[in-house]
Amino acid sequence: MRYHLRNHPMVLVGLLVVFGWIVVALLARGLASHDPLAKDVSHRLDKPGENGHNWGADALGRDIQTRVLHGARITIPAGIAVIIFGSIIGVLMGALAGWLGGLWDELLMRITELFMAFPTIILAMAITAALGRDIRNAIIALVIVWWPSYARLIRGIVLEIKHNEYVDAARCAGATGPWILFRTILPNSIAPAIVLMTLDIGNAILTFAGLSFLGLGPPPTSSEWGSMVNAGLDNFSQWWMWLFPGMALASLVMAFNFIGDGIRDIFDPRLRRD
Amino acid sequence: MPLQVFFLRRLLLTIPLLIGITLVSFIIANAVPSDPVSANIPQNAFDNEEIIAAFRAKWGLDKPPHEQYLTYLGNLLRGDLGVSIKTSKPVLEDIRQFLPATIELASFGILIGMALGIGTGIIAAVWRNSLADYLTRSNVVIGVSFPIFVLALIGLNLLHVQWGIVAGPGRLDFIMRDPPNVTGLFMVDAALAGQWDKFSNAFSHLILPAFVLGSYVAGIIARITRSSMLEVLGMDYIRTARSHGLHERRVIIHHALSNAMIPIVTVIGLSTANLMTGAVLIESIFAWPGIGRDAFRAATSQDFPAIMGVSILIASIYVLVNFIVDILYYFLDPRIRVA
Amino acid sequence: MRKSVLFVLAVAVVLLAGFGAAAQDEKVLVIGHTEQTDFYDPANGFTGTTSLVRRATYDTLVTFPDEDASEILPSIASSWAISDDGLHYTFTLDDSFLFNNGDSVTADDVVFSIQRLKYVNGNPSFLAAGIDSVVANEDGTVTFTLPEVRPTFVTELANTAFSITNADVVRANGGTDGMDAAETDGAADYLNQNSAGTGPYQIDSWAPQDETVLVRNPNYPGEAPYFDRILIVNIPEAATQKAALESGQIDIATDLSPDQMTELEGNPDVNIWRGPGQWNHFLIMNADPEIGGPVSDPRVWLAVRLALDYEGYLQLWPGSVTPGSVMNYFLAGAFQDDRALSRDLDRSKALLAEAGYPDGFDIDLKYPDWNAFGIDMNINAQKVQADLAEAGINVTLAPGEFSIALEEYRLGNAGFGYWLWGPDINDPVDVLAFVPGGKVATERLRFTEERAPAEILELRDAVKKESDPVRRAELFDQIQVWLQESGNFAPFLYPPTQTALRVGINGYNWHPQWVMDVAIISRDEM
Repeated sequence: MRYHLRNHPMVLVGLLVVFGWIVVALLARGLASHDPLAKDVSHRLDKPGENGHNWGADALGRDIQTRVLHGARITIPAGIAVIIFGSIIGVLMGALAGWLGGLWDELLMRITELFMAFPTIILAMAITAALGRDIRNAIIALVIVWWPSYARLIRGIVLEIKHNEYVDAARCAGATGPWILFRTILPNSIAPAIVLMTLDIGNAILTFAGLSFLGLGPPPTSSEWGSMVNAGLDNFSQWWMWLFPGMALASLVMAFNFIGDGIRDIFDPRLRRD
Repeated sequence: MPLQVFFLRRLLLTIPLLIGITLVSFIIANAVPSDPVSANIPQNAFDNEEIIAAFRAKWGLDKPPHEQYLTYLGNLLRGDLGVSIKTSKPVLEDIRQFLPATIELASFGILIGMALGIGTGIIAAVWRNSLADYLTRSNVVIGVSFPIFVLALIGLNLLHVQWGIVAGPGRLDFIMRDPPNVTGLFMVDAALAGQWDKFSNAFSHLILPAFVLGSYVAGIIARITRSSMLEVLGMDYIRTARSHGLHERRVIIHHALSNAMIPIVTVIGLSTANLMTGAVLIESIFAWPGIGRDAFRAATSQDFPAIMGVSILIASIYVLVNFIVDILYYFLDPRIRVA
Repeated sequence: MRKSVLFVLAVAVVLLAGFGAAAQDEKVLVIGHTEQTDFYDPANGFTGTTSLVRRATYDTLVTFPDEDASEILPSIASSWAISDDGLHYTFTLDDSFLFNNGDSVTADDVVFSIQRLKYVNGNPSFLAAGIDSVVANEDGTVTFTLPEVRPTFVTELANTAFSITNADVVRANGGTDGMDAAETDGAADYLNQNSAGTGPYQIDSWAPQDETVLVRNPNYPGEAPYFDRILIVNIPEAATQKAALESGQIDIATDLSPDQMTELEGNPDVNIWRGPGQWNHFLIMNADPEIGGPVSDPRVWLAVRLALDYEGYLQLWPGSVTPGSVMNYFLAGAFQDDRALSRDLDRSKALLAEAGYPDGFDIDLKYPDWNAFGIDMNINAQKVQADLAEAGINVTLAPGEFSIALEEYRLGNAGFGYWLWGPDINDPVDVLAFVPGGKVATERLRFTEERAPAEILELRDAVKKESDPVRRAELFDQIQVWLQESGNFAPFLYPPTQTALRVGINGYNWHPQWVMDVAIISRDEM
């Protein structure tokens, strides 16, 4: 592992940045100079540097830097929630399909394929529009479109190890189906699922922010990054309103993807550097 | 498995998929909690039972859901997607109006993405582990990570507002009238009509959104180009070609790239769904009158015939592309033929 | 590969060099606008863009001056007479008006247009509901009969919904003025794409949510307008509208935010037209305890009005004023900002305690997620949330998609909300919509006559029949005082109307009835 990390300096950079954002999210209250909701209309649209607003102020006179720091508390957990719930559903569906086989497999995989056929954002858009605008609904919508790739992955793995020796051994020892599924097959599926989650989390955050940007995520008071960029559209010339949250989002997603890219490299020997 | 059997089997599999797509669209469109009646008839008609009943009958809202679904499916088979509640035009006509704009944007985006992605992918593979490779790989990550709505805003602010290098939102300057409609692609139509001022204007409007869309695709293409080139370059026949003293450029372009193109094309085909995600965001920012902006409008205004029409269209395109890719693989991967 | 990239770049350079060479011989006015069109058919349409287009393509019996709605002027009707009982209005028609196909306007056309409006059950049909009958007389005049005395009747006829259409053309395209018009009339599609009126322009085409094109009416007998062609382009994104104006792609931008206007002030290519606004922004509180909960209590209504930081909204939206009452600012006799309430948190808290909420309460604020003519409602909602928090009211914001939020509001199911209002009638009686028994107070907020004190109902009934201007003004004064003390609305912002124009555009004037009259706009010749 050390060898690999040395060959992937960007993984280290990515880890540092992600760690940094997690610290920011945890300590946002202490780090930020203002209250994220404190409005001061007499100092609205202050330029960066004016009146103690390092990154400027928004249309209601709230401190942009403070809001961006607090935004990490929404965007990071939302992305993680999508990945975790999506993978849980996906792993269960995939394991069931692979384990039961036959008609069940066919049916579950057709359903999976069905959800993969819809473009993520259009399905998510329709779902949030139906459920109503808030963070929870945006996460639900994304989970609904997120699980199929996990289901596919895990089904493949289950099919592969179903006839492995230790599974056969367990069967011979009198273990029942569910026991084998939960004790032998699922644990073996966790590692690949986690790799996929690492590759995927940047994308989940990006899609979540995209939904918020379209006005389908958290309510307008929220300092979620995508919705901050959206709020900045009304004040397009006040570039600090949309550029800072946008760059924060970009830095976090990039960091996750640098980690994911390194992990892909490490796990895919075909692409490994000699 | 002979081709005919494989083809038929694959074709039969798409049927339940297509039916499933209509079912999912239908369920989502009908999960909308509010009553489309009151959102779509004039206020002063609220008390008029007859008008409300007529509206319900017209949209089949007076029937139980499963009957509504069967009615919809029946109409769909006759090529009738219903009438959009908001624009009061047939959904199919709206799609026909909006689709060419998206095709123009997406195909130009893919072209830019291919130009950037394949080029950098080859460089990265040929000079593996060089600085160029390293930079390419970092750029790929940046390309797929940078939120395209932020990139679009930066581009619009600098290139259009500040420097005035490219035209702004829309497909043409507002004062220009659309070129005579042949294909619906403005650049093509303008060229066919010989209206070169419109051609260049359309290009100036297209280049920035297409570039933003292309930057995302470029990352994916560069990544797959690099890996498939590496795989191909390691193969025996390339070594043979090299050992026969063929010029390196010839080896790379004629032998390696042509073989590496297969997975590249597949990835491009499969990223249609991703492209649509990009299209929704880019079309809203650039006021691009395409299918993505229409889908957003439909979803937020609970225009259920339009939501269903657009979802079914896009999902069907995805299914079709998958089908074609599978058929391609039949020719490319001998294992399928044996199985 | 490198070669093809170079080629693309070369093509790009050539194309960009050629860009902008197009010449326009035609005189074209391009208006960047957030389109709100339900129908262009006069009998069916009742939205902002509709009025603008109807002003250019049709005429009404009577009209307003170009600048405002201060008086009634003759138009298709050259004169009119009112019977002694005040129930019969007879209009004499001006025979110089010609439809765009060359026909002259007859009494039949007038009767047809009014009856079609009344019976087609379109969005503006309620305007004609209070007309008992309209008949063409043998001498070519037209007589309207009303069920009761209504001094505002002639003013109402200036609404562009009362546009006179060519009866023969509309009939030939499926139109009818029969009592069953709601079911049998089929002319809306035709009238969305064509006009059959007497205005200086006619509709050339309409692509919904895209653009509307007007061209000259070839048979217009009056002085020809300056522009050959009017393009009304839908640009809902304010930032895009601003960029299009700055680059000269559009001549007029109607929906920029006050902040954007401030930025444009230094631009030598842009002029800014400023005038009184049309839209009053206010909070609504439902009088039904089941729906409104805590905000159904009249003490809470006043407490909410006293808790708002009126000064703050003026800073948010430069150029705005604080409305004195829920009656629109530019209507005759409306309270101006000198009679507006000011913030009094102590009194607000005392009233809340008196109503049984010493520690405040939790409530959702429902409003459309919408940019209302340059004013982002989300911003005001967040400010309201902060203001009310200081009085102890804990507000949760619940924005909804426009049509969905509107539906809830129209059906009277919104408890606590934020909406805006532009007058239906350019007369002080418009305020009666906010008085118990009126459209907004009762239908939308369930402040029914049973729930209302007798004094306000008496005031309302008195003002409806009053024709003496002095006494009428006194009554409207009392109604506004009552609304300030006891109404279930909290008006807080009256933004100005600001329109950005390219330098060289002359004659623009925002109008409360028809937004702008494109026929009086011209451009300086270079």
